Amino acid sequence: MASLLPKGVGSTGFQKALAGFRAAIGNQWVLDSEEDRASYIDPYAMGDGLDHDCSAIVAPASVEEVQAIVRVANEIKVALWPVGRGKNLGYGAASPAEKGDVILDLSRMNRVLEVNDKQAYCLLEPGVGYFDLFRHLKENNHPLWMSVPGNSWGSVIGNALDRGIGYTPYGDHCEQICGMEVVLPDGSVVRTGMGAMQGSAGWQAYKYGYGPGWDQMFMQSNLGVVTKAGVWLQPEPEMTAKIELALPNFDDAAWAIDILCDLRRRDVIQHNIVFGSPVRAASTMSQRADWYDGPGALPDSVSETMMKKLGLGWWNAKISLFGHEGTVTAQVDLIRKLFEPKLGRPLEFELWKKGDPEEKSAQGVPTTMGLQCVNWYGGRGGHLSFAPVLPQDGTLAFNYAKKIKAYYEEIGQDYYASFTIGRRHINNVSLILYNRDEPEMVARADKLYRHLLAEAASQGFAEYRGHISYMDAVAETYSFGGGALRRLNDKVKAALDPNNIIAPGRNGIGTRR
Amino acid sequence: MKLSRSLLPLAGLSALLAASCGTAGDVPPPPAPKPASPIAAALFGSGSKDEGERLFGQECAFCHVGKSTGAMMLGRRLGKDKAELIHRTDLDADYVKAVVRNGLMNMPAFSRVEVTDAELDKIAAYLARKKS
Repeated sequence: MASLLPKGVGSTGFQKALAGFRAAIGNQWVLDSEEDRASYIDPYAMGDGLDHDCSAIVAPASVEEVQAIVRVANEIKVALWPVGRGKNLGYGAASPAEKGDVILDLSRMNRVLEVNDKQAYCLLEPGVGYFDLFRHLKENNHPLWMSVPGNSWGSVIGNALDRGIGYTPYGDHCEQICGMEVVLPDGSVVRTGMGAMQGSAGWQAYKYGYGPGWDQMFMQSNLGVVTKAGVWLQPEPEMTAKIELALPNFDDAAWAIDILCDLRRRDVIQHNIVFGSPVRAASTMSQRADWYDGPGALPDSVSETMMKKLGLGWWNAKISLFGHEGTVTAQVDLIRKLFEPKLGRPLEFELWKKGDPEEKSAQGVPTTMGLQCVNWYGGRGGHLSFAPVLPQDGTLAFNYAKKIKAYYEEIGQDYYASFTIGRRHINNVSLILYNRDEPEMVARADKLYRHLLAEAASQGFAEYRGHISYMDAVAETYSFGGGALRRLNDKVKAALDPNNIIAPGRNGIGTRR
Repeated sequence: MKLSRSLLPLAGLSALLAASCGTAGDVPPPPAPKPASPIAAALFGSGSKDEGERLFGQECAFCHVGKSTGAMMLGRRLGKDKAELIHRTDLDADYVKAVVRNGLMNMPAFSRVEVTDAELDKIAAYLARKKS
């Protein structure tokens, strides 16, 4: 692993930048050795990961230190790649899109600044992870619940900024952000929403402020460094009910999507609903070799064996209900009435009431168990997700999924899919598992991803989030007006960040070719 | 203050792996304790007076306590009695440090920002406390 320079910066300039960073935040927190850089390589990289290697890491502890770093970066024109905790696994983790950027690791800024029980919000720094917040809430007996993503290792703010999701109410994480503090590319600080008022008493109470609401501008973008954000939390409900729903057949997806989407639109089900294929469930409790060691895609007959042995359906969904007792029991009755005739058996919900053991509740508990799936093929595994946005139409979504399944089989990749049902959309997630040290498998993963991107775009569906290796490719599918949105993004980027020092190329914005 | 180097060369790691991953001897292992619930795993070490245990709970327990990805893969590779790190009696502090800094198979490496050398010393000492 040779030393590396940031793009467009010579050795002298880089040394000057490092000296500036060290003066600003101390020697200890500016890392440029090979060993330190290696610890930031994406653990799920497609190959050795050196194509997204960084030149150094800087780790500030305060907003003032972030400002000082940004000023040095501007002076020398060194690009920074900000990360909350660097755990965006499956999307590149801490690695920059552009090789040679300096990683701005915010994980030392890890204070829970405020938790308000009555108004159900917290104010966080970007280094606070889901486990940190969970521990903080429990240790201090706050009657507040949090939504957690499938991989909960990462930053609460970072996940929200990348529009990650969870599977309990408040699971649209970007929508829970209320008020940000941001260091702009020129080193100045702005507070959004009501925080724009000096001494504001309502920063976490109302999102929009006066005039344009800028919070979305700092999501999936590179227009500033978020150093604080308010996050709304769920007041602990009186009762919950939960059930794991197993749909026995592949084509059950069509009718189930229509029923579940209707329940979601009406807020009977208040959370993002996920239902996934057999490999999705099996890969969290076993490895492929336990079931099949042959070439090509896992045959359906093997999936059926897995389903039988593990008690799975073809599609497996977790449904939870939250609220007052009367509401929850009425919702349970409604769901039973809708599903029992279709499934031909009674549904047994697990109920929790305030005071019962917490394990019985449907609250979000952070976990990394979902990461187990990367061990499916053996070796050093990784995963890549393609998740286009589809409208809420069961037949349309099922026909799309059927076509994708056929392509997985044609290319020899085990079919791993899930549908995530949001308020008005569905993400059909195609997860691509691979062993990063097998070049043929990595090449297959890349080919599959690019095929999925093109196939989805041909049907009018686009990806909602981007892996660092595909950020431009995804941006190109947003093609209306000859790429009008991308031109607007680039124009705003050039105005706010003329030296292009904040994450060039993130989400296809300010890409340097 | 400059952080001291605690990274071990990979050759050293291989030797330590061989030393630390051997199968148990003739004595049958005691039955594995009941795994912690997901909530208990997420709160492991919370409020502990042992800073090593608290740091382990904060940085490692989510993959290594209860039904977790680290415990599952270690159980497959080394046997169920070696699945959960907190019950191990064969862990050497230097071995723990080498794995944390270099990563191992699907366990990612931890940077010196995420876990400082001083913190890692405490975590490693905690995990090595039962080594005979």
